[in-house]
Amino acid sequence: MPVNLTANAIAAIDAGDVNAKPLVQVLDIKLIGSSQERYRFLLSDAVATQHAMLATQLNDRVKTGRVRRGSVIQLIEYIGSTVQKRKIIVILNMETIILDCDVIGNPSVLELDSLPEKPLSSGPRPSINNSVAGAQNLSRTSYNNVKTSSSLNQGGNMQSFRPTVQPSYQPPPNYKNHGAIMRNEAPARIIPIAALNPYQGRWAIKARVTAKGDLRRYNNARGDGKVFSFDLLDSDGGEIRVTCFNAVVDRFYDTIEVGKVYVISKGSLKPAQKNFNHLNNEWEIFLETTSSVDLCPDEDTSIPRQQFSFRPISEIANAESNSILDIIGVVVTVNPSVPIMRKNGMETQRRILNLKDQSGLTVELTLWGDFCNREGQQLHDMVEAGIFPILAVKAGKVNDFSGKSIGTISATQLFINPDSAEADSLRNWFDRGGKDTASHSITKDAILGGMKNETRKCLTQIKDEGLGRSDKPDWIAVKATVSFIKTDSFCYTACPLMIGDRQCNKKVTKSGNSAWLCDRCNQEFEECDYRYLLQVQIQDYSGMTWVTAFQEAGEEILGCSAKELYVWKNEMQDDLKFLEVIQNCLFREFILKLKIKEEIYGDEQKLKITVVKADKLNYSEESRFLFDSITKRHVTTY
Amino acid sequence: MDTSNPAAFVNAELLRMYVGRRVRAVIQVLRNDGGSIFGKSTDEQELVIKGQPPNPLTTFVEVIGIADSNRSIQAEIWTNFGDNFDVSSYNTVCQLANGDFKHLFI
Repeated sequence: MPVNLTANAIAAIDAGDVNAKPLVQVLDIKLIGSSQERYRFLLSDAVATQHAMLATQLNDRVKTGRVRRGSVIQLIEYIGSTVQKRKIIVILNMETIILDCDVIGNPSVLELDSLPEKPLSSGPRPSINNSVAGAQNLSRTSYNNVKTSSSLNQGGNMQSFRPTVQPSYQPPPNYKNHGAIMRNEAPARIIPIAALNPYQGRWAIKARVTAKGDLRRYNNARGDGKVFSFDLLDSDGGEIRVTCFNAVVDRFYDTIEVGKVYVISKGSLKPAQKNFNHLNNEWEIFLETTSSVDLCPDEDTSIPRQQFSFRPISEIANAESNSILDIIGVVVTVNPSVPIMRKNGMETQRRILNLKDQSGLTVELTLWGDFCNREGQQLHDMVEAGIFPILAVKAGKVNDFSGKSIGTISATQLFINPDSAEADSLRNWFDRGGKDTASHSITKDAILGGMKNETRKCLTQIKDEGLGRSDKPDWIAVKATVSFIKTDSFCYTACPLMIGDRQCNKKVTKSGNSAWLCDRCNQEFEECDYRYLLQVQIQDYSGMTWVTAFQEAGEEILGCSAKELYVWKNEMQDDLKFLEVIQNCLFREFILKLKIKEEIYGDEQKLKITVVKADKLNYSEESRFLFDSITKRHVTTY
Repeated sequence: MDTSNPAAFVNAELLRMYVGRRVRAVIQVLRNDGGSIFGKSTDEQELVIKGQPPNPLTTFVEVIGIADSNRSIQAEIWTNFGDNFDVSSYNTVCQLANGDFKHLFI
């Protein structure tokens, strides 16, 4: 049953009313846009019509058919915009009221001119709609759609936007690309950052600088250049990054200060580069020499200083590797800063600390470079003094090398004891007992977290059940006693250089008489690392077998590092100490997680068993495990 | 090794089955009076252990002796078991050792 559309809705929006939330009808929907999908609606209020652009976050509504031609919709959030004297509505939020409806009223569709369009991009025009090809087909409501695609120049240069809708009965305007155009110089209205888009006529935003990037110089095929970026936050919580190149850098670099509020206008909007820009905005502002940046000296308390969206540590365990997020937690441990050699030969600092939050989980946070000496040192001193500060991290990167951990990137910002509700509640929780609750690290355990419940088997089952013979290795857990360790060769010389987050660890060879050479990193260095490569014989009640243990398992079994053992044996000739260490671990029981795989060596099949993890027995847990086995197997006879 | 007089694993509830016989139990020390101690059995009930407790005495102690009532043991052997002990596991052992698996123990 036809409903009444809001009378004069179109005129009202054109006059600047953005609060009326009118009912309008969608007469047409067209998909346009060369780099990005954009939908353009033709809206009617039963009398007048106007084009409207749908914000990309609503694209799904068209794709899933929740709004179609004929739908009656209510505009919830929208802006009227003028681009080169054409009026366009930008729809930021809408609701479909009636999905299918005949055309209501008698809307007069504006006549389109058949202005031959000057192609602005030299590339081929992407074909959007089959109906456009037959451009001369006049439909019942009599309008043509002339090629619209390349008018949305992805360069975002406002001057070259050529919409095809024109006010009726006017001779086609004769705009060229570079003509002198009279512009309305009245100050633009301040709009929320969330409403910014390249189709906005003139805009101005008022926001606080939350981060200012470094001035970076670069050199590419086009020559030298310099660039810097800064991030803005407005009172609605909208955020956007602003970038300046070359001459524009000189104009604005010194003016911009973190924490101050500015009114910015006359920049251009382009799609944000998601690789570097982690703000929640699909656009990025590029300032030109004609842009204006005005400092607001009055303190605007409606604009927050920083905006975070903290994730609890429990969610990080499931976060995607390399994703960027904000976290907040209590700093429970701070390790010393260590120099790390990067692959390019440059040395940097790394410091690892642990954060804990109300979920009882801890996560490792790796600080790189300057963070180690600045915030890292400060945090270290505080923890040494017994104060456990709250640390908020903005834009940390998730790493999944060993469980999940967070690392700093150049865009990261650290805040010690920030003034926020989350910080206060963390402080309260920690001081009132959170400090003593058991912590479980998502960084260490998680490497086997998913596999924590390996099936427990006895050693003879490995052979009996033919483990390791299929294409994939078998993973089991055994409780076994170490009965022998081969001591002639218990470690190897390893490459200490870092490749990204991990150590290279490849075996290195001696080059010359004092240096070591790594083939993978192609570098030489004085000091190599020593890593365990142990051949261990283990036994349990059923039988025995040989296994190989690497660094972490080796350290757990022997109780000291490979380097220490190496020094005792080879350099200090302290055989006694060496033997003592070995003896101490013999006949000790461990829970060993084994990876079993049969491999072909030459023409022989050999079973390779590696200790992935070695754990000392936790008697309580083990008792419970045994009780469980007892009750499972035992059938009560009375 | 003299296996003629084995001590049965007991908690407070099982103690009454062995009055007059040799038992062993792990007790959490609540009060030490010198000549006897008041302790909590692994099933959370109070027992009196008579004899000469060792000095020092840790929080948990194993006593082996004769049950002289259903609430007390005359201890001959005392062994300090430290300050950390998994009471519930021991209690389960007592139950299994006197139940389905008694034949393995006595």
